[in-house]
Amino acid sequence: MSENKHRVSRRQFLNYTLTGVGGFMAAGILMPMVRFALDPILKEEAGTEMVPVAQVKDLTTEPQRFDFKVKVKDAWYESEEPKSAWVYKDEKGEVIALSPICTHLGCTVNWNGDKAHPNQFFCPCHFGRYTKDGTNIPGTPPPAPLHRYEYKVKDGKLYLGKAKPRGEV
Amino acid sequence: MKWTVYDVEMYEKEKQYIDTVVIPLMPLTLSSGAKAAVSGGEFVQLLTNEIERQLKGRLFLLPPFTYFVTEPISECTKRLNDWTNELKESGMDHVFYVTSDRQWKEIEQQLSGTLFSFPAVPFEHMDEAYKRQIVQEQTTKLLNAFISQWT
Repeated sequence: MSENKHRVSRRQFLNYTLTGVGGFMAAGILMPMVRFALDPILKEEAGTEMVPVAQVKDLTTEPQRFDFKVKVKDAWYESEEPKSAWVYKDEKGEVIALSPICTHLGCTVNWNGDKAHPNQFFCPCHFGRYTKDGTNIPGTPPPAPLHRYEYKVKDGKLYLGKAKPRGEV
Repeated sequence: MKWTVYDVEMYEKEKQYIDTVVIPLMPLTLSSGAKAAVSGGEFVQLLTNEIERQLKGRLFLLPPFTYFVTEPISECTKRLNDWTNELKESGMDHVFYVTSDRQWKEIEQQLSGTLFSFPAVPFEHMDEAYKRQIVQEQTTKLLNAFISQWT
Protein backbone atom coordinates (compact mmCIF):
# COMPACT_ATOMS: atom_id res chain seq x y z
CA MET A 1 0.00 0.00 0.00
CA SER A 2 2.88 2.30 0.72
CA GLU A 3 3.57 2.29 -2.98
CA ASN A 4 0.01 3.35 -3.71
CA LYS A 5 0.43 6.54 -1.69
CA HIS A 6 2.69 8.00 -4.32
CA ARG A 7 0.63 6.82 -7.17
CA VAL A 8 -2.05 8.86 -8.79
CA SER A 9 -5.18 6.93 -9.33
CA ARG A 10 -7.09 7.07 -12.58
CA ARG A 11 -9.87 9.01 -10.83
CA GLN A 12 -7.46 11.55 -9.39
CA PHE A 13 -5.66 11.98 -12.68
CA LEU A 14 -8.90 12.68 -14.50
CA ASN A 15 -9.95 15.08 -11.77
CA TYR A 16 -6.75 17.07 -12.00
CA THR A 17 -6.66 17.26 -15.76
CA LEU A 18 -10.34 18.18 -16.09
CA THR A 19 -10.07 20.91 -13.42
CA GLY A 20 -6.96 22.23 -15.12
CA VAL A 21 -8.42 22.30 -18.59
CA GLY A 22 -11.79 23.53 -17.31
CA GLY A 23 -10.11 26.34 -15.38
CA PHE A 24 -8.15 27.32 -18.45
CA MET A 25 -11.27 27.52 -20.55
CA ALA A 26 -13.16 29.47 -17.90
CA ALA A 27 -10.30 31.93 -17.67
CA GLY A 28 -10.33 32.28 -21.44
CA ILE A 29 -13.98 33.30 -21.32
CA LEU A 30 -13.75 35.52 -18.23
CA MET A 31 -10.59 37.46 -19.02
CA PRO A 32 -12.03 39.51 -21.91
CA MET A 33 -15.17 40.17 -19.85
CA VAL A 34 -13.10 41.56 -17.00
CA ARG A 35 -11.12 43.63 -19.45
CA PHE A 36 -14.30 45.08 -20.93
CA ALA A 37 -15.52 46.00 -17.47
CA LEU A 38 -12.27 47.74 -16.55
CA ASP A 39 -11.62 49.29 -19.94
CA PRO A 40 -12.80 52.84 -19.18
CA ILE A 41 -10.38 53.01 -16.24
CA LEU A 42 -7.41 51.66 -18.14
CA LYS A 43 -7.85 54.00 -21.08
CA GLU A 44 -5.65 57.05 -20.71
CA GLU A 45 -7.26 60.36 -21.40
CA ALA A 46 -6.43 61.54 -24.90
CA GLY A 47 -4.06 64.46 -25.21
CA THR A 48 -2.82 64.49 -21.64
CA GLU A 49 0.68 63.36 -22.47
CA MET A 50 3.33 65.91 -21.74
CA VAL A 51 5.72 66.89 -24.51
CA PRO A 52 9.33 67.96 -23.91
CA VAL A 53 9.66 71.53 -25.14
CA ALA A 54 12.80 73.17 -23.81
CA GLN A 55 15.72 72.98 -21.40
CA VAL A 56 14.93 74.74 -18.14
CA LYS A 57 18.34 76.43 -18.11
CA ASP A 58 17.49 78.18 -21.39
CA LEU A 59 14.57 79.98 -19.83
CA THR A 60 14.91 83.66 -18.99
CA THR A 61 12.70 86.30 -17.47
CA GLU A 62 11.98 87.46 -21.01
CA PRO A 63 9.27 85.41 -22.75
CA GLN A 64 10.72 83.17 -25.46
CA ARG A 65 8.89 81.30 -28.13
CA PHE A 66 9.20 77.52 -28.27
CA ASP A 67 7.67 75.40 -30.98
CA PHE A 68 6.65 71.83 -30.44
CA LYS A 69 4.31 69.20 -31.83
CA VAL A 70 1.48 67.19 -30.41
CA LYS A 71 -0.30 64.21 -31.91
CA VAL A 72 -3.95 64.82 -32.58
CA LYS A 73 -6.65 62.50 -33.80
CA ASP A 74 -9.26 64.11 -35.95
CA ALA A 75 -11.90 61.48 -36.65
CA TRP A 76 -9.94 58.78 -38.52
CA TYR A 77 -7.11 61.05 -39.47
CA GLU A 78 -4.12 61.16 -37.15
CA SER A 79 -1.67 63.98 -37.52
CA GLU A 80 0.84 66.12 -35.76
CA GLU A 81 -0.28 69.58 -34.85
CA PRO A 82 2.35 72.28 -34.55
CA LYS A 83 2.00 74.35 -31.40
CA SER A 84 3.98 77.04 -29.75
CA ALA A 85 4.31 78.53 -26.30
CA TRP A 86 5.67 81.72 -24.80
CA VAL A 87 7.74 80.64 -21.81
CA TYR A 88 9.49 82.68 -19.13
CA LYS A 89 10.38 82.61 -15.45
CA ASP A 90 8.75 85.10 -13.13
CA GLU A 91 10.48 86.89 -10.22
CA LYS A 92 9.95 83.89 -7.96
CA GLY A 93 11.64 81.66 -10.49
CA GLU A 94 8.42 79.94 -11.39
CA VAL A 95 7.90 78.85 -14.98
CA ILE A 96 5.02 80.48 -16.85
CA ALA A 97 4.06 78.92 -20.18
CA LEU A 98 1.46 80.87 -22.10
CA SER A 99 -0.46 79.71 -25.13
CA PRO A 100 0.01 82.15 -28.04
CA ILE A 101 -3.59 81.71 -29.16
CA CYS A 102 -5.48 84.99 -28.83
CA THR A 103 -8.66 84.45 -26.83
CA HIS A 104 -10.52 86.73 -29.20
CA LEU A 105 -10.60 84.89 -32.52
CA GLY A 106 -7.59 82.61 -32.36
CA CYS A 107 -4.73 84.46 -34.03
CA THR A 108 -1.17 83.99 -32.85
CA VAL A 109 0.09 86.68 -30.51
CA ASN A 110 3.66 87.97 -30.36
CA TRP A 111 5.77 89.29 -27.53
CA ASN A 112 6.74 92.93 -28.09
CA GLY A 113 4.90 92.85 -31.43
CA ASP A 114 3.78 96.45 -31.18
CA LYS A 115 6.43 99.14 -30.91
CA ALA A 116 4.01 101.58 -29.26
CA HIS A 117 3.35 99.17 -26.38
CA PRO A 118 6.55 97.44 -25.30
CA ASN A 119 6.61 94.47 -22.91
CA GLN A 120 3.20 93.26 -23.90
CA PHE A 121 1.81 90.44 -25.98
CA PHE A 122 0.30 91.79 -29.17
CA CYS A 123 -2.21 90.27 -31.56
CA PRO A 124 -1.73 91.61 -35.11
CA CYS A 125 -5.27 90.80 -36.22
CA HIS A 126 -7.32 93.23 -34.20
CA PHE A 127 -4.64 94.82 -32.05
CA GLY A 128 -5.50 92.93 -28.89
CA ARG A 129 -2.94 93.30 -26.10
CA TYR A 130 -2.00 91.33 -23.00
CA THR A 131 0.36 92.07 -20.14
CA LYS A 132 3.37 89.85 -19.51
CA ASP A 133 1.43 87.45 -17.29
CA GLY A 134 -1.18 87.06 -20.04
CA THR A 135 -3.90 89.31 -18.64
CA ASN A 136 -5.95 90.92 -21.37
CA ILE A 137 -5.81 94.70 -21.36
CA PRO A 138 -9.26 96.28 -21.07
CA GLY A 139 -10.30 98.27 -24.09
CA THR A 140 -8.73 95.80 -26.53
CA PRO A 141 -10.82 93.05 -28.18
CA PRO A 142 -9.71 89.92 -26.21
CA PRO A 143 -12.37 88.79 -23.72
CA ALA A 144 -10.11 86.66 -21.47
CA PRO A 145 -6.47 86.18 -20.41
CA LEU A 146 -4.18 83.97 -22.50
CA HIS A 147 -4.43 80.30 -21.64
CA ARG A 148 -1.65 78.66 -19.66
CA TYR A 149 -0.04 75.34 -20.36
CA GLU A 150 0.15 72.71 -17.67
CA TYR A 151 3.80 72.02 -17.16
CA LYS A 152 6.24 69.83 -15.30
CA VAL A 153 10.00 69.84 -14.97
CA LYS A 154 11.88 66.57 -15.16
CA ASP A 155 15.63 66.02 -15.58
CA GLY A 156 16.16 69.68 -16.41
CA LYS A 157 13.63 69.55 -19.21
CA LEU A 158 10.39 71.42 -19.43
CA TYR A 159 7.35 69.37 -20.41
CA LEU A 160 4.13 71.01 -21.50
CA GLY A 161 0.66 69.50 -21.50
CA LYS A 162 -2.67 71.06 -22.29
CA ALA A 163 -3.38 74.76 -22.42
CA LYS A 164 -6.11 75.68 -19.96
CA PRO A 165 -7.91 78.91 -19.14
CA ARG A 166 -6.36 80.77 -16.22
CA GLY A 167 -7.53 79.56 -12.86
CA GLU A 168 -7.71 75.93 -13.92
CA VAL A 169 -3.98 75.21 -14.01
CA MET B 1 -10.50 80.55 -40.99
CA LYS B 2 -10.85 77.70 -43.37
CA TRP B 3 -13.58 76.56 -45.67
CA THR B 4 -15.22 74.32 -43.04
CA VAL B 5 -18.62 74.36 -41.36
CA TYR B 6 -17.14 75.13 -37.96
CA ASP B 7 -15.19 78.12 -39.21
CA VAL B 8 -18.03 79.45 -41.34
CA GLU B 9 -20.26 79.45 -38.27
CA MET B 10 -17.67 81.55 -36.51
CA TYR B 11 -17.45 83.80 -39.55
CA GLU B 12 -21.17 84.45 -39.49
CA LYS B 13 -21.01 85.40 -35.82
CA GLU B 14 -17.91 87.57 -36.02
CA LYS B 15 -18.33 89.05 -39.51
CA GLN B 16 -17.25 92.53 -38.43
CA TYR B 17 -13.75 91.30 -37.59
CA ILE B 18 -13.03 89.31 -40.74
CA ASP B 19 -12.20 91.52 -43.67
CA THR B 20 -9.57 89.57 -45.58
CA VAL B 21 -9.66 86.66 -48.01
CA VAL B 22 -6.66 84.63 -49.08
CA ILE B 23 -6.86 82.70 -52.34
CA PRO B 24 -4.05 80.35 -53.38
CA LEU B 25 -3.65 80.41 -57.17
CA MET B 26 -2.80 76.97 -58.41
CA PRO B 27 -1.95 75.85 -61.93
CA LEU B 28 -2.87 72.32 -63.00
CA THR B 29 -1.47 70.10 -65.70
CA LEU B 30 -0.82 66.44 -66.29
CA SER B 31 1.47 66.74 -69.27
CA SER B 32 5.08 67.90 -69.16
CA GLY B 33 5.81 70.30 -66.36
CA ALA B 34 3.37 68.58 -64.02
CA LYS B 35 6.01 68.09 -61.39
CA ALA B 36 7.00 71.73 -61.31
CA ALA B 37 3.37 72.79 -61.12
CA VAL B 38 2.70 70.39 -58.26
CA SER B 39 5.71 71.38 -56.24
CA GLY B 40 4.82 75.03 -56.59
CA GLY B 41 1.25 74.28 -55.60
CA GLU B 42 2.33 72.22 -52.63
CA PHE B 43 4.51 75.00 -51.35
CA VAL B 44 1.71 77.52 -51.67
CA GLN B 45 -0.63 75.18 -49.79
CA LEU B 46 1.84 74.80 -46.93
CA LEU B 47 2.40 78.51 -46.80
CA THR B 48 -1.26 79.50 -46.82
CA ASN B 49 -2.16 76.88 -44.22
CA GLU B 50 0.52 78.18 -41.92
CA ILE B 51 -0.52 81.80 -42.40
CA GLU B 52 -4.11 80.80 -41.72
CA ARG B 53 -3.03 79.23 -38.44
CA GLN B 54 -1.35 82.40 -37.31
CA LEU B 55 -3.92 84.93 -38.49
CA LYS B 56 -7.10 82.90 -38.42
CA GLY B 57 -9.06 85.57 -36.60
CA ARG B 58 -8.94 88.02 -39.44
CA LEU B 59 -8.54 86.13 -42.66
CA PHE B 60 -10.50 83.56 -44.52
CA LEU B 61 -8.53 80.99 -46.52
CA LEU B 62 -10.56 79.96 -49.54
CA PRO B 63 -10.09 76.70 -51.47
CA PRO B 64 -7.49 77.27 -54.23
CA PHE B 65 -8.30 79.01 -57.47
CA THR B 66 -7.30 76.36 -59.95
CA TYR B 67 -6.75 76.61 -63.68
CA PHE B 68 -5.18 74.48 -66.36
CA VAL B 69 -1.90 75.86 -67.63
CA THR B 70 -3.37 75.85 -71.12
CA GLU B 71 -6.08 78.31 -70.11
CA PRO B 72 -5.12 81.74 -71.51
CA ILE B 73 -4.02 84.12 -68.79
CA SER B 74 -6.59 86.70 -69.89
CA GLU B 75 -9.39 84.21 -69.18
CA CYS B 76 -7.91 83.38 -65.78
CA THR B 77 -7.61 87.03 -64.93
CA LYS B 78 -11.22 87.65 -65.81
CA ARG B 79 -12.39 84.69 -63.77
CA LEU B 80 -10.25 85.68 -60.80
CA ASN B 81 -11.44 89.27 -60.92
CA ASP B 82 -15.02 88.00 -60.92
CA TRP B 83 -14.26 86.04 -57.73
CA THR B 84 -12.67 89.09 -56.21
CA ASN B 85 -15.55 91.41 -56.99
CA GLU B 86 -17.97 88.87 -55.62
CA LEU B 87 -15.99 88.71 -52.38
CA LYS B 88 -15.66 92.46 -52.09
CA GLU B 89 -19.40 92.81 -52.53
CA SER B 90 -19.94 90.46 -49.61
CA GLY B 91 -17.94 92.71 -47.35
CA MET B 92 -14.28 91.76 -47.72
CA ASP B 93 -11.93 94.73 -47.85
CA HIS B 94 -8.77 92.84 -48.77
CA VAL B 95 -8.35 90.02 -51.25
CA PHE B 96 -4.87 88.50 -51.23
CA TYR B 97 -3.61 86.01 -53.84
CA VAL B 98 -0.71 83.74 -53.02
CA THR B 99 0.99 81.92 -55.86
CA SER B 100 4.24 80.55 -57.16
CA ASP B 101 3.15 80.73 -60.77
CA ARG B 102 5.31 83.40 -62.35
CA GLN B 103 2.89 84.49 -65.06
CA TRP B 104 0.65 86.31 -62.58
CA LYS B 105 3.45 88.69 -61.78
CA GLU B 106 3.42 89.96 -65.36
CA ILE B 107 -0.22 90.97 -65.33
CA GLU B 108 -0.32 92.11 -61.71
CA GLN B 109 -1.74 95.53 -62.64
CA GLN B 110 -4.88 93.98 -64.08
CA LEU B 111 -5.83 92.17 -60.88
CA SER B 112 -8.41 93.57 -58.49
CA GLY B 113 -6.73 92.05 -55.45
CA THR B 114 -3.19 92.09 -54.09
CA LEU B 115 -0.71 89.56 -55.43
CA PHE B 116 1.98 87.86 -53.33
CA SER B 117 4.16 85.65 -55.44
CA PHE B 118 6.86 83.28 -54.25
CA PRO B 119 9.45 81.31 -56.15
CA ALA B 120 8.67 77.60 -55.94
CA VAL B 121 11.01 75.68 -53.66
CA PRO B 122 12.02 72.18 -54.77
CA PHE B 123 10.93 70.32 -51.68
CA GLU B 124 11.33 66.73 -52.77
CA HIS B 125 14.98 66.35 -51.78
CA MET B 126 14.81 68.26 -48.53
CA ASP B 127 14.70 66.86 -45.08
CA GLU B 128 11.81 67.65 -42.79
CA ALA B 129 13.57 70.13 -40.51
CA TYR B 130 14.95 72.23 -43.35
CA LYS B 131 11.59 72.21 -45.07
CA ARG B 132 9.89 73.48 -41.95
CA GLN B 133 12.49 76.20 -41.54
CA ILE B 134 11.90 77.47 -45.05
CA VAL B 135 8.14 77.48 -44.67
CA GLN B 136 8.58 79.30 -41.38
CA GLU B 137 10.78 81.96 -42.93
CA GLN B 138 8.48 82.53 -45.88
CA THR B 139 5.46 82.63 -43.58
CA THR B 140 7.01 85.36 -41.49
CA LYS B 141 7.70 87.34 -44.64
CA LEU B 142 4.15 86.91 -45.86
CA LEU B 143 2.78 87.72 -42.42
CA ASN B 144 4.57 91.04 -42.32
CA ALA B 145 3.45 91.81 -45.87
CA PHE B 146 -0.17 91.13 -44.87
CA ILE B 147 0.07 93.25 -41.75
CA SER B 148 1.53 96.17 -43.66
CA GLN B 149 -1.42 95.94 -46.06
CA TRP B 150 -3.83 96.14 -43.15
CA THR B 151 -2.49 99.30 -41.62
